[in-house]
Amino acid sequence: MSNLWNKILYHDGQGWWDLPRTQWQEPNPKMEGPLGDGITPIKRIWEIMTAANLHHGTPGFYVLIGAILSIITIVEVWAFAWLFLGALLVPLMLVLSLGKFVLVVGFFMHLKFDRKYYAWIFTACMIIGIGIFVALLVLLNYGGQIQQ
Amino acid sequence: MASEAATYEIKSEHGEVINTSTGLSNKKLLMWAFLGSDVMFFGSFIATYLVYRNRSLVGPYPADILDIPITSVSTFVLLMSSLAMVLALAYVQDGRRKLGTFWIFAVVVLGAIFILFQVYEFNHFVKVGLTPRTNLFGTTFFILTGLHGAHVTLGVLWLMFLGFGSIKGTLRADNAIDLELAGLYWHFVDIVWIVIFTVIYLISARDVAPPGSVLWVPGAH
Amino acid sequence: MQTTHPGIDREPISLRFPRIFPRPKSEYGIWSWISTVDHKRIGTLYAITSFLWFLVGGIEALLMRLQLSQADSAFLDPELYNQLFTMHGTTMVFLVVMPLSAAFFNWLVPLQIGARDVAFPRLNALSFWIFLFGSLFLNFSWFLGDAPNGGWFGYAPNSNVAFNPTNGMTYWVIGLNILGIASIAAGLNFIVTILNMRAPGMSLTKMPVFTWMTFVTSVLIVLALPILTVALIQLQVDRLYGTHFYNPAAGGDPVLWQHVFWLFGHPEVYILILPAMGIVSEILPVFSRKPLFGYTFLVFAGVAIGFMGWFVWSHHMFTVGLGPAANSAFAISTMAIAIPTGIKIFNWIGTMWGGSIRFSTAMLFAISFIAMFTIGGLSGVMHASVPTDAQQQDTYFVVAHFHYVLFGGAIMAIFGGIYFWWPKATGYLLSEKLGVANWLMMLIGFNLQFAPQHWLGLDGMPRRIFTYAENMGWENTNMYASAGGFLMAFGVLLFIINVFYSARKRVPAGDDPWDGRTLEWSISSPPPHYNFEKIPNVEHRDDFWFRKHPELIAEYYHDEHSGKLTAPSGAQFDDDVDDEHAPDHASDHHDNEHGHGHGDIHLPDMSYYPFILALGLTIVGAGLMTIIPVVIIGVVVLLWGLIGWSMEPVNDPAPQGAAHSH
Repeated sequence: MSNLWNKILYHDGQGWWDLPRTQWQEPNPKMEGPLGDGITPIKRIWEIMTAANLHHGTPGFYVLIGAILSIITIVEVWAFAWLFLGALLVPLMLVLSLGKFVLVVGFFMHLKFDRKYYAWIFTACMIIGIGIFVALLVLLNYGGQIQQ
Repeated sequence: MASEAATYEIKSEHGEVINTSTGLSNKKLLMWAFLGSDVMFFGSFIATYLVYRNRSLVGPYPADILDIPITSVSTFVLLMSSLAMVLALAYVQDGRRKLGTFWIFAVVVLGAIFILFQVYEFNHFVKVGLTPRTNLFGTTFFILTGLHGAHVTLGVLWLMFLGFGSIKGTLRADNAIDLELAGLYWHFVDIVWIVIFTVIYLISARDVAPPGSVLWVPGAH
Repeated sequence: MQTTHPGIDREPISLRFPRIFPRPKSEYGIWSWISTVDHKRIGTLYAITSFLWFLVGGIEALLMRLQLSQADSAFLDPELYNQLFTMHGTTMVFLVVMPLSAAFFNWLVPLQIGARDVAFPRLNALSFWIFLFGSLFLNFSWFLGDAPNGGWFGYAPNSNVAFNPTNGMTYWVIGLNILGIASIAAGLNFIVTILNMRAPGMSLTKMPVFTWMTFVTSVLIVLALPILTVALIQLQVDRLYGTHFYNPAAGGDPVLWQHVFWLFGHPEVYILILPAMGIVSEILPVFSRKPLFGYTFLVFAGVAIGFMGWFVWSHHMFTVGLGPAANSAFAISTMAIAIPTGIKIFNWIGTMWGGSIRFSTAMLFAISFIAMFTIGGLSGVMHASVPTDAQQQDTYFVVAHFHYVLFGGAIMAIFGGIYFWWPKATGYLLSEKLGVANWLMMLIGFNLQFAPQHWLGLDGMPRRIFTYAENMGWENTNMYASAGGFLMAFGVLLFIINVFYSARKRVPAGDDPWDGRTLEWSISSPPPHYNFEKIPNVEHRDDFWFRKHPELIAEYYHDEHSGKLTAPSGAQFDDDVDDEHAPDHASDHHDNEHGHGHGDIHLPDMSYYPFILALGLTIVGAGLMTIIPVVIIGVVVLLWGLIGWSMEPVNDPAPQGAAHSH
């Protein structure tokens, strides 16, 4: 049982919770235990998420991201239906959706793992796109009012 | 950039030699640039929707007609298809053909379910009295979600094509880049839906008749 | 010889699509042009097609000038006049300047970066065929009596069906959408080509400026054209299916179209002018016999223009009433964009400064580009001032301004480019005497036509009117302008005469007639279809020129690179190079994907599918205009092209399939 627990939480390259391998197939560092070396599971997940030089994750990792995405969606719908947030609704939804957006782009589309060129290209397009469309909305919704 | 010299003989992650100045695959670079272009495409439509939000003169208005539970389910379906897509790619890249084929067709099925949800939704709206010609909400809603649906349909056809390739054995680990491109496209369509779901459904689903416009009475159409 | 890398030359796909035509092999005749994927041939096709459209657009302009040469003229009726100015603008922007630039991109980018072709040769062919069919579709409207009549900007709701019930604007909408697909495909292709296909050693900072400007232009095309596509789709569904995007009666915003159109339209302006700036940046250093002054500044100014160009669009709408805050913001950003433009102008002047200048025709065109573009740029800065613009909006002053930047700028540079690279493309020189006459006629005619229009505009003559009353005092000036127009036409005629005359005389140019600086001059004229026998190694900016003049390296590079130059490594220096004995490159570049190895050149095979795909797309467009069954036919043709294309390997596995050096 503890073996299964270790496989779930800690990667040794064997378990279903198979961490991304590095580009050069280096063995991943072994873990001591839940608290043995002070690396908590969350910290470990953070390491995975921020790891460079990884070309793609493993099925288990993707399932985890999928689960996070589902949870965010559920939270969104729940907040929409049961929390009457008023003015807070729009910023909250935008933040949550931004989280989903980043997860899909970063992990499913491999931008986090891939060469940085792709990320630059996409980010540059997003910056120009968001810049001009936000300016457009401001102009069309508030431009005339300032004049009055 | 100044030190970025053209180098040759770079191996990609899966062993094929990529002889490009940047070491990036031509096809993948093309796909990312295309997605950047598509950002502007959907961005324009979403901006149009937001400009015309709360500007319809007659109903039905979003609060009268949008059905969040159903759309939440279809959103979930599309998210899961994205997950299936990334799993398919991982298995194809690892050379596990059967699993790869299974997950490719899982994407196809989930994508088709999403389209069916959309067809149902469109039919329902038309029945209740919202068409692209009814008001600005109808116009912007149908054209934006319809073009997104067209993108999904195209992706489903593309993935079906690749799925049969995987069955036939023409899609393998060494040309998994073809699937990766389809995957990038598919995930992009997914993130567009994430934005559309937020903007049209979550943010504006409680929009009622704006001041000065006509209230909508169901069945009076 | 086939390479054996996995994933590159895999076994033939068993799910082979049945081929109706055998794969084209012929190198001669009409079918070889239809199925070509060679970037030089595609460039030639672009050049010929868009030059013919240039003549069409010019004739449209001359008809308008005839009409305006006298007060109260009845030569054209108002409706025809509307159609003429709409089609003149649309033709010159979308069918002339953009594709003529594309002709230069196609011809020069692979040659300048030392590549054998673009990254996606069949996609390149597709772009051309879509462009050709789209342009024919757009102009076909003339023969059906309903040419577009709502201006090249197509302002909705004026162009919507309530106010414009003829079919003209529907042709315009669908035609431009088809053309937009061609432009985006070409833009994507050149982005990838420039990033990925550079010769070893050619870092981004060693790329020729023309290639840099092509890159910036391609990025702008890829990001700006989708916005136009969206606007056109919205107008199209409004016109055809009765939606309300641009229907004020249903609450549609009459200003929205202007915003969306100019969101595209202003980057478009830079799409038109940046390639011209690139061409001039190549011509000036060659004929000044000096390296380009301030390469880095020139490049970064180009990139800055490409970025800032996104945030100035509302200066087209100062009189709409956006409010003082918005107007001020856009006035500032518009004036700010004059800074990088000014940097470029000073760099070009600095390039000529102290050089030993040869006044060839190409150089004369390039210099007149600087002068005319500066005049146009300065009147542009005048428009950036909101109160001034209120006076000038919709008058001939604006017409004068944008013709100074687009004709005096873009077209002058393009003609300079034609004179400059003609010997490279054909192998013989254009006559310099006729060339100088051509330049003189065009320059004088141009200024005679458009300089007076500044005065006309300040005097209040509005644009887009088909005639004016006798007592307005505009007759003499308009007469000069019309005379100038015909002088320009005579100049263009001299160019055509020059082409035929020189083709007859055929004065051989040699490989490097101008003492050129960039890699295209290192190969034969016209280039072999594989371009470079050996892919060159690049060590310097203007590498080829410094190889010819190694003594100048120390002078320009302050000794940091001197001594590093080795014997020329490109095949261009070895007259007796032998395919079988190429010791220096055979080992490291032998088996590469693109056949960079010496005796191992294979280029993509020819293909009919781009042609078929483009045809299908156009039939779909035509079907949307008329009846749905035609759409279905179009979709079938399109799918045939698409599936056939994806089933067709880039190179057939048969050894004779590869195009070998010969």
